[in-house]
Amino acid sequence: MSEENWIEVGSTDSIEEEDLIRFDHQDKTFCVYKLTDGFYATDGICTHEAVHLEDGLVMDDEIECPMHQGIFNIKSGEALSPPACEDLKTYPVKVDNNKIFIKID
Amino acid sequence: MKNNIIILGAGQAGIYAAREIRQNDSKSNIKILGEENLLPYERPPLSKDFLLDKKKEEDLCFHSSDVLKNENIQFENISITKVDFENKKLFTKNDDVYIYDSLLISTGSENKKLTLNNNLKNDIYYLRNLEEAKKIKELVSNKNKITIIGGGFIGLEIASSLSQLQKKVIVIEIGNQLMGRIIPKQIADLVQNTHIEHGNEIILNKQIEKITKKNGDYEILLNDNSLIETDFIIAGIGSTPTVKLFENTNLKLDNGIVTNQFCETSIKDVYAAGDVSNFYHPLYERNMRLESYQHAQNHGICAGKNIAGVKTEYTSIPWMWSDQFNLNLQLTGICNDFDEIIERGNDINNGVIYFFLKNKIIRGACGLGIAGKIGRDIRITSKLSEKNTIVDKQILSDQNQKLNKLIQK
Repeated sequence: MSEENWIEVGSTDSIEEEDLIRFDHQDKTFCVYKLTDGFYATDGICTHEAVHLEDGLVMDDEIECPMHQGIFNIKSGEALSPPACEDLKTYPVKVDNNKIFIKID
Repeated sequence: MKNNIIILGAGQAGIYAAREIRQNDSKSNIKILGEENLLPYERPPLSKDFLLDKKKEEDLCFHSSDVLKNENIQFENISITKVDFENKKLFTKNDDVYIYDSLLISTGSENKKLTLNNNLKNDIYYLRNLEEAKKIKELVSNKNKITIIGGGFIGLEIASSLSQLQKKVIVIEIGNQLMGRIIPKQIADLVQNTHIEHGNEIILNKQIEKITKKNGDYEILLNDNSLIETDFIIAGIGSTPTVKLFENTNLKLDNGIVTNQFCETSIKDVYAAGDVSNFYHPLYERNMRLESYQHAQNHGICAGKNIAGVKTEYTSIPWMWSDQFNLNLQLTGICNDFDEIIERGNDINNGVIYFFLKNKIIRGACGLGIAGKIGRDIRITSKLSEKNTIVDKQILSDQNQKLNKLIQK
């Protein structure tokens, strides 16, 4: 795992608990979440239709797509409820000096 | 105990019921009977991504045949022509018999047809199933000026898709607003503006007097004597529950099959779910019939639990969507029983929502925005109305204040 693939997203206080922020890097969009037990990251676009999950609702460990209410588990990316049927890609997250980093392939 | 469970109707409610039964009952035989020779598939894309060639036929199935095989759920393409509730038997036209211990009716709904005084019924196209969608997609490819009769969800979604295929589209609606059956006028007017901006012509408050075929094209005469020339006609004028099979039986019918909050009909061991069911909703303390994706799924799941012996009340808050151009419209709860309206936002780029309150409690909300802009707030509204939460109107009307803080856990 090379260090240069860890991309800084922002400070830990930039996300409220049980909420998310959108993070764009190069031509990709990610969502970074603050759950009760830490920070998580997924792709930022729903696998069902091309809509940004940043406008979705975070409830417990789940993100619900704002357009058609497809639901994904934030930690595993698993598609839990239709119309979403394809899993969401997840990314490793680390916190260092109150800064959030995600590891992009 | 091992039972024979038959699910009559292979739509969304049927497949979700089947899988839910299997979750709770590993032994019973589960058989879905469907009139289309296709595994249950998603219908929302038919009027949008399928017409636009963004989704193919193979993308539409809810579950593959492997899933059904693994869960030991049988599917049969067969049409039932007679029901004997007393002896728990279903018959085909060849008098093949299907015997059930429990029956779920999930036959859905069907399109209302235009009544025309001349023999043009094969010239008017409707869209409900894959076959109809395929036919429309193929035939419009060499048409230019297409008329849609009916300004409801389906008509407007087709109008949006055809406009994106560079067709000239005219929508004729008999009412004084679009989507008038359930969508508030404030939102309907915003949708109308978007259609007009994209070049679609919207004609409200007009009835069709006559349609005449001329040299392969059509002339539509309206009740103000105006004449519309068009080369293709699609109608979307509402639907009715598919209950013809039960009309001369003891099954209680009233705008569909009457069911209680447990999906039970008037006949023991017979359940109904989805579009065909006029069900009792405990929160609103009245019966209602819904035609939506979320309802078909959740009602099917609820019926499945009850059939499997897990007594479960159906309390889902109604929710539906429509996508037209780059807009996403959503409605939750009921928006026709209110004493106060609160507006949140005034620009569809950031989303506009109207909340409908009665006795200070949110009964429903309807919103419109680019892509998913209103989704989170509509979802939160569902949760607030489900718990009869009294909310601060100032927060509802201020788009800078997040609504998720209002949810009580």
